[in-house]
Formats: sequence, structure tokens, C-alpha cells
Amino acid sequence: MTTMINSRFPSPSRRTVLMAAGASLVAAPWVANAQGADTVRIGFPTPLTGPFAAEARDQVRSAELAVKLINDKGGVAGRKVELLVRDDKLNAGEAATRTLELIEKDKAHAIVGALSSAVQLAVNEVTRARGVIYVSISQSDTINEVKDFSRFTFHEALNPHMTTAAVAKHTFKRGSKVAYLVADYAYGHEMLRGFKRAQAALGAESVGEILHPFGAPDYSTFMPRLRAMRPDILCIANFGRDQANSIKQAVDFGMNRNARIVVPVLLHNQRLAIGPDAFAGVVGGANYYWGLEQSIPSAKAFNDAFRAAHGGAVPTDYGAYGFTGVYSLLLAMQAAGGTDTDKVVAALEELKYDVAKGAQSYRKCDHQSMQSVLVLESKKRADMKGDADLFNVLATEPASETMLRTCSELGFPA
Amino acid sequence: MTSQSSPLPVMAAAAARPAGLVATLTAWRVPLTILALCLLPWVLPSKALAVNVLIYGLIAVGYNLLFGYTGLLSFGHAAFFGAGAYATGIAIGQFGLPWFVAVALGVVFGGALAVVIGLLSIRTRGIYFSMVTLALSQLVYYAALQASSWTGGENGLRGFTVAKISLFGVAVDFLNPVAKYYVLMIFAALALWLVSRILNSPFGAAIEAIRENETRARACGYDVERTKLLSFTLSGLICALAGTMSALHLAIVPLDTLHYHTSGMIVMMTLLGGAGSFFGPFVGALAFLLMEDVISLWTSHWQIVVGSVFILFVLFLPKGIWGTALSWRAGR
Repeated sequence: MTTMINSRFPSPSRRTVLMAAGASLVAAPWVANAQGADTVRIGFPTPLTGPFAAEARDQVRSAELAVKLINDKGGVAGRKVELLVRDDKLNAGEAATRTLELIEKDKAHAIVGALSSAVQLAVNEVTRARGVIYVSISQSDTINEVKDFSRFTFHEALNPHMTTAAVAKHTFKRGSKVAYLVADYAYGHEMLRGFKRAQAALGAESVGEILHPFGAPDYSTFMPRLRAMRPDILCIANFGRDQANSIKQAVDFGMNRNARIVVPVLLHNQRLAIGPDAFAGVVGGANYYWGLEQSIPSAKAFNDAFRAAHGGAVPTDYGAYGFTGVYSLLLAMQAAGGTDTDKVVAALEELKYDVAKGAQSYRKCDHQSMQSVLVLESKKRADMKGDADLFNVLATEPASETMLRTCSELGFPA
Repeated sequence: MTSQSSPLPVMAAAAARPAGLVATLTAWRVPLTILALCLLPWVLPSKALAVNVLIYGLIAVGYNLLFGYTGLLSFGHAAFFGAGAYATGIAIGQFGLPWFVAVALGVVFGGALAVVIGLLSIRTRGIYFSMVTLALSQLVYYAALQASSWTGGENGLRGFTVAKISLFGVAVDFLNPVAKYYVLMIFAALALWLVSRILNSPFGAAIEAIRENETRARACGYDVERTKLLSFTLSGLICALAGTMSALHLAIVPLDTLHYHTSGMIVMMTLLGGAGSFFGPFVGALAFLLMEDVISLWTSHWQIVVGSVFILFVLFLPKGIWGTALSWRAGR
């Protein structure tokens, strides 16, 4: 082919050079794919590109830390652990393909990861059909239910039901008027369902709800409608950049003067991105906040290890999922003495772990991690003692099965 | 409208040099493509990627029938892809039908949708046709989003994993990536043969006549609207088949399947490979997916690299990869 082209062109043309460069670019990675035979391989699909990229990068950092800590202590039964990070592009089809690659080509022993309801359900569908353990680290109620459950499915993240119950308990009162601004996709719907259930139990009332499209940059048209509802509480149920944009615009419209802004999950990164003034006084739930280190020794150990690895930076909420998800799995593998799936599943079911935030364990019926839920309030600029001093911990709901839906409600046989 | 003028010199050159490589490639295009497909899973980095190339290659070939050969730029082909996938998944998951019945249902359903959308859009032209197909496919997207008891809504359709299939009495482990690839390849090969046959038929000449000069084709006595509708439907059928293959492959149907991003990706793949050539769309799908797969392993900034490659191709190789290769061979 080359000779033919050269016979027509006196010297290699720009096109030839470009094409050759492109071809060599594509050809190189085959060489780089060899794996050690005896390592323990954990697949980690996560949306490194797209609107949740900031949270995903934190997950990767913390997951890598968990792997490093285990490797420093000798790995799993003498075998080194390797984390295989893949970009799922926040797309369920892409995530399913990546998970297939991780299982079929990279021979991953277990999968941890994903950061959206739809994506984790897609990964779960692939792993459960092939009998591979999957530890999900993103919020979902659906994955607890019997239809999507399998004995290989574990859910390390909080679920919307427990998050909203904890947040509502500390913000809603009898007679509170709540207006909802909800992202129109699974996450928003599940959070709204959870809040309404808690609202009914607490005797608050809903004065209206508005659904906004996922990834909307502009919320100005919703604000007059929300204000006309005259709420005491403005509940904004969305995630990632949407949270930052919507809170900022709600404050610009003065919504926080008459109503308290409540979110299901108060995101560390979004608070950092927007700054203290817009977020001041916003209340929301969290799985983790680095300030826990004052009262919980495992949080201190996790923070210190993270600081040492990342130049003094503190771990974030979603980052902590990456850590607890991978660490608990590796602890179970250590207990099982290897990667035999049945033994690791049994070990995970029995596991009592405290790796970053206090006692955790997986409930037997749905493999939901029973853990504490924090209720945080964003600090005013004047109250901050440093750049990372973002939140007050208003309350800590202790780990308890009573926060979860019952096994029979989820469809499991009693 | 580069696509409308680009294939002509290629064909003229091929006709002028009947013994040339291009002529050989054209005559043997189906067996050659199938041979290439047989080798594909052993050349690509992973089997899952090979199945994706098969699926998206087939969509692009189906799309090319309409875009490259009939000259109609549709932005709604995700609808047929998704319809095929959803129909297959629902048939297996909710009605417990055997997989081959589900595949047939998926193709029929996608084809029926193509007839409906075709009837509503085919009388518009140019940008209006693109916009009408885009709007109608978004209608399908939102219908699937709302009908969550059928489609799983935002969470996508799940719960129809096909683990074992029986093929002419032989049990095949469908979770085995190699077996899965070759079973799905049979469908792709049949579809490719069909497309090749269509292009070689008088009908194939008629759609190209419409692409080149609609008024003249009408003056020659062709029923332009019916021909366009038939081409649209055939194109939709091929995409629906790819959809059913995707459902069997991933065992999920994400809602994103119906999103206009998917339609855009189909157009992109077709342009990258070369619209109006038989192999081109497949080459485009291969190049697109391979770049995405491989570069995103290296860096989370893969979009910069992929975007730059697209810009370079549009600037320097407007006929696409295969189209350019053909015109080099044909002696410019």
C-alpha cells in the first residue's frame, strides 16, 4: 500500500503522514494489555467524562488508596491487588460493554463502581448473569428490590430511602410546607418518593413539585413558580452540577430568605465549586464528611492516608464510597482466603467492617450496607476555619436496619 | 452534500477499469466482508468491542442505504434501533418468547415504525426531512421514557438475559463471547447480503437515480415517493435488526439507545467511513468504536483526541476512510 502511494506521490504527502500517525496511534495498545496471572483484579467502571466527572475522579483516587493500603499489608492471600479503571461515560450501554470487557478479557474477579442508577443496574445485569460479584457505590433504591437483586449484588452506597428519611427527620416538621424541585430521571424520582414518604410520616405537607430536565443549566423559569408556592422548605433533589446550578440560582432569586433549602445529598465537590455564600445554611445528607475524624478513629486513619497520598487534600463524600466499597470487598477476599466467588459472597455477608465512617455491615436479604447517615449543614463563610471546613454535622443517624425498607417490602420471601 | 457527489467518480472509474482492484472488491464485497467479520474478534482488543462493531457497523450500513444511496439525511435512526431492541427485550422478558421469535418481532416492530415515520416524513426534503425525522424519533424517546412499566423508563429495560440458545438443535452458550459473536454475525451477514442484493437490483439503481436527480427520476417514470419510502423502510429494518442484536448482546436496553446522540453517532460513523460505499460505513463504525475504546483507556481526555481526529478527517479526507482508499485505487 505504502509503495503504491509513494509511486504516485514524489514524497509522502501530509495525508499519508497523518494517516500513518493515526494508524500507529490505534495499533499501540495491544502491547500494553498483558496482565499478571496471579493478581487480584477489581474492575472499576466510572464516568470519568460527563457531568459527574468530579465525583468519579474522587472515587478513583479513594479506590486506588484502598488498593494501595491492602497491597502494603501484603495483598489478598499473598496476591497483589490491581484496580482496572474504565470510563463508562455515564452511559448504560457503554458501561455494560466495559463490564463485559473487564470480565471476559481482563478476567476481573469482581466489579466495583458506577455512578448513576441506570448505569449501576446495567452493570449489575451483566455481572449477575455471569456470577461475578458487583459492589455498587451509587445511590439507588431499585437495586435493593428483588427483581434486580442477585446474590452477587452488593450495595455499598446509601439508598435514597434511607438518605431522605434521615434528612427529612431533621428538617421537616409537622405542618411544614415543602416545595420540590426535582431532576427528571431515576435519581430525582427515587429521592422525591423517599421525601414524600418521610413527609407523610412526619405530618408535613407538599405545596407543589416541579420536574426539571437532567443537566439543565438554567432554572430561572422555575423560581417564580416555586416562590408562588410559598414554601417553608425548598427541597432540591438533583445531583452533580445540577445541584450547584440550581442552588446558586435559587439563592440569586432570594428563595433562601423565606424558605430553608434542603437537598437529599449535600455534595462536597459542588459546594467547593460554587463557594460558601450560595450554599450557606443548605442542609443535606451524606455518607461521609472528613470532619468525622474528630469522633471516629477509622475516619482519621482514612483521612491521614488520603492526605499523605494527595498532598494534604481531604477525601470527599463520593470518594469515600470508592474507598469503603473496594476496602470491604478486599477485606472479604482476605477473609475468604482468595477470590473464590461463593466464599467471598459468604464472607461479605458476614463481614462487620469499620474502614472510614464507623460500623457497617451488609444486610442479608438485599445486601444493602447498613451504615450511618450524616445530616450536614453548609457553613457560612465567616464560620469556616479553613478552605476544607465546609459543613457542620447536624446529626448522625446511626447504622440501623430500621432506616431501610423491610425485606418483605422489597419482595424478598420472609 | 459531499455524499451526493462523492461516489460517482469512484463508480465511473471502476467501470472504466473493470479488471481493477475496485471492481474485484465490488464483485466480491459480501464474501470479503464476511471474511473480515470472521477475523474481527481475533484482531480487536476485546470480543465485546467486536460485537459492538458488528452492531454499529450494521446500523451504519442500513443507514447508508438511505443516506449514501438515496441521499436522504435522517436524524432519527435511533428510533428504529431502539424499537428493535425494546421489542426484543420485552418479548423475551415480559412474554417469555423464544429468542428467535423475539428477534423476528423486533425487526417487524422496528420496520413497522419505519413505515409510520417514513410516511410522515418522506414528503419533506433537505433540512426539513432531517428535522421531521429528529422530532419523530424524539417522540419515540419520550414515549419510552413515560411507558416505564413496559420499558423500565430511565433505568432501562432489564431482566431478559439469554444465557443459552439452541441453534438448529445445537445448544450454544450465549454468555461465551466468541459463540455470541458468531451467532450474531450470522444475522449481520444475512443483512449485508440483503443490502448488497438490493444495491445490485434495479431498485438500487432507482434510489441512486433519485439521489442524483429527483426530477429526472420522476420524469423517467419512477414513483419517487414510493421508492423513497421503500428505501426508508428497508433502512429502518436493518437498523431494527441491529437493535435486536444489541439487546441480545448487552442483555439490557438503555434509554440512551433512543437518544438523538445515537442518531448523531450513526451519521458520524457513516461519514467517517465513507457514505455511498458498501464497506465504508462498517469501516467507519470500526474506526469510531476502536478509537473510543482504546484512547479512553489511556486518558480521560480521550474526547480531545477523538474530536481532533474527526476534524482532520473532515478537512483532509471528506470522502471518509474507505471512500478515500477507493478513489486512490481507482487512479484518481
